[in-house]
Amino acid sequence: MSQTFNLPDVGEGLTEAEIVSWRVAVGDIVEVNDIVCEIETAKSLVELPIPYAGTVGELVAEEGETIEVGQPLIRISGADDDDAEQAEEKPQRGKKQEASEKKSGEKKTGAEKNGTARAAQTSEDQNQALVGSGPKADTAKARPRTRHTVPDLVETVHLPEETPAARTGFHTGDIADIVAKASPPVRALAKRLGVAVWELVGSGRNGQITRDDVERQAREKKALRESGKQPKGGVPVPGRQQSPGDVGLLYDGPREENVQVRGVRKATALNVSASASNIPHVSVFKEVDITRTMELRQALKNDPAYQGLSVSPMLFAAKAIIWAARRNPQVNATWHDTHYTLRNYVNLGIAAATPRGLVVPVVHEAHTYSTQGLAAAITQLTDDAREGRTTPGEMQGGTISITNIGPLGLDFGTPILPPGQAAIIALGAVRKKPWVVDGQVVPRGVMVVGGSFDHRLIDGDLAGAFVSDIAAVLEQPGLLLD
Amino acid sequence: MAEAHAEQPAPIQLLDADGKLSHHPVYSTYIEQLDDAALRDLYRHMALERRFDAEATSLQRQGQLALWAPAQGQEAAQVGTIAALKPTDRVFPTYREHAMALYRGISAEELMATFRAVRHTGWDPNAYNFNNYAIVLASQTLHAAGWAMGINQDLRSGNLPRDKAADEIVLACLGDGASSQGDVHESMVFAASYQLPMLYFIQNNHWAISVPTSTQSPSPLANRATGYGFEGLRVDGNDVLASYAVAKHTAEQLRNGQGPKLIESVTYRMGAHTTADDPTKYRPSEEVEHWADRDPLTRYKTWLENESKATEEFFEQVEQEAAELAAELREAVQTMEPIDIERVFDTVYTEPHRQVQAEKAWLKDYEAGFAEEETS
Repeated sequence: MSQTFNLPDVGEGLTEAEIVSWRVAVGDIVEVNDIVCEIETAKSLVELPIPYAGTVGELVAEEGETIEVGQPLIRISGADDDDAEQAEEKPQRGKKQEASEKKSGEKKTGAEKNGTARAAQTSEDQNQALVGSGPKADTAKARPRTRHTVPDLVETVHLPEETPAARTGFHTGDIADIVAKASPPVRALAKRLGVAVWELVGSGRNGQITRDDVERQAREKKALRESGKQPKGGVPVPGRQQSPGDVGLLYDGPREENVQVRGVRKATALNVSASASNIPHVSVFKEVDITRTMELRQALKNDPAYQGLSVSPMLFAAKAIIWAARRNPQVNATWHDTHYTLRNYVNLGIAAATPRGLVVPVVHEAHTYSTQGLAAAITQLTDDAREGRTTPGEMQGGTISITNIGPLGLDFGTPILPPGQAAIIALGAVRKKPWVVDGQVVPRGVMVVGGSFDHRLIDGDLAGAFVSDIAAVLEQPGLLLD
Repeated sequence: MAEAHAEQPAPIQLLDADGKLSHHPVYSTYIEQLDDAALRDLYRHMALERRFDAEATSLQRQGQLALWAPAQGQEAAQVGTIAALKPTDRVFPTYREHAMALYRGISAEELMATFRAVRHTGWDPNAYNFNNYAIVLASQTLHAAGWAMGINQDLRSGNLPRDKAADEIVLACLGDGASSQGDVHESMVFAASYQLPMLYFIQNNHWAISVPTSTQSPSPLANRATGYGFEGLRVDGNDVLASYAVAKHTAEQLRNGQGPKLIESVTYRMGAHTTADDPTKYRPSEEVEHWADRDPLTRYKTWLENESKATEEFFEQVEQEAAELAAELREAVQTMEPIDIERVFDTVYTEPHRQVQAEKAWLKDYEAGFAEEETS
């Protein structure tokens, strides 16, 4: 049994280090704190002392190699004395046991009353816990989110109008009061005039609540009081229904409310406004009979190879997009003003509505997948997105995107292009419609397929050709056999 | 740096780098009053800190501590000074007063909670009359002045008798770098204006991370006291006997109500500023060698041996005790419980506070939103 010493973060927030030189070789006997190697980080040259005693079993990294913090550096085996106990302790602590202990939240119970064993075990746990793997845990390998939490402190604060008098000091103050954008003199003024600053919408720079805002509110309140009328919404007007005490709101809540913009909502807002203002969009649509695709879909659903996979019109549309991109290369590109970049591959962005908001994970190298492989990839990505597990990396690098608005019951829409892409395809709902086939009106499964394109690069004819190619595949999926 | 200091008044020294004791009309008397056991104890505390420091540095290199600020080289300055104080005197440390903290009885576990990053602080300041480490440079000098003003108020209001107040002087620790901070200026102005029972103890270890003291001030830091109207002394911080005697003498003056004083303890940081920097990148190796020859433990050990004040057995005992302390430190660090995040919120205000409670609830909800463990 051996102990592994992982590369620690010897600075503050370092992520990697280069092995400059080894001071020990395999077979050497080492004591705790013996220097085993010298590493160079972004900050300094550091000599690393070993936390275990025993015999050097393996030097995992080579001199000159750069390894990440938390990666194995050296293994020490055949420990003696105390360390032998530690080493023997390990086999009893198999992975399963560790996992179950972690789950139950009990790290030190049961048989582990022996102090040394406890120290050894905790040491092992903590070795993992502190700096050894810290920086990595913070980045790409963050624990997955399983659900969405209320994103901020502000949005749920509702206070009846009559409370300001009770709000005397900071300690009893409300959160919304504290985060409302008003300077201390304006807050003091508001307090004096009996105006609730958290109910105001600031007219100042960056939404700052100004003196004028407070005074105007105070004047309006005063006018209402003097006229004996209720606030605006509650002014009795013939023909308006009003129950006693009802100030005339749509639902239970404050009359106006400022909600902080954060997270996915904020990112989406930035992306779509940049895209909408920089890219001249052009949209085209085509109605298509996808009965054959729906028949094929049913066949695949019955195929055991597709067990557990989502086989939706989206899958066939994805295949169709790849097929059509091969025939219309210019849609698969990025505009740079002085030039544009043609992409000879498809990284397919899949727009997904999630509890966190709109997320567009990407199937990288989508053109290399079989139909079954693509189904698996899309299923995985959309599941991850809905459960909030999509990493930032998985949302980058898309070349063409697809958005399925059919499940929303919609027939067509004009999507906004994700930044850096020139084409996004939207799929409508599949509806049974009367359709003319061979001169006969028959019920067929019909869908609108269309999308938005970067008009700087793609004119109506190209957009039309691309959408028509996609439609052709959806109408006759046999085309994919080429 | 050594050349620059040659022009400056020589620091008060009793024991030279070779371990030879000289006589001083004022300060030598304080040493003469120490019996052999007390003299040995000074060495013991310095040796314990040195071993403790080395172990802590190793633990940081092994990923067990987030950070460590080594005090190697400054043992005599710290031990000599703290030994000259009474346990009732209040200490306001920086984040490097490890020898002082250990001297006051703060345990390895208590001392390391911050460096392991599991708690903001590991000890009760009132239990040791030793404030929590101040990471924000120089802030502790303001806290110290405030504390000393409190003592004066208690005196004036009759809550604290004069003789008892004499047992509660305030030690404000700072470094050469922090001495340039505005907080220190304000603290000294107040200390002088109110004639506070404060001893400013500057450990001039020559480097404020990578900035040399010569950049901080063209004249000795001790001279700054004159500008505020109180006395400043320079002492050889690598001489534990001078450090003790000067601090003892100055403390007596403070106990007699003779206002604030300043001691600049001229010493040298042998290690890095913290484990996050590389001193070889900013200071010459000759300078480090120069100071290695002036090591505080070596010269004192030489003197104790030459004067037959300690036997070989004593030094072996100290070494054994230091090894045990290092083992205790290692054990303490590795078995430390992870941070109790709720405590962070619960200790902001003495009474429940709505904003803090809302933030606590939010974090709880946020944490609960993660999967139990990563599926790999």
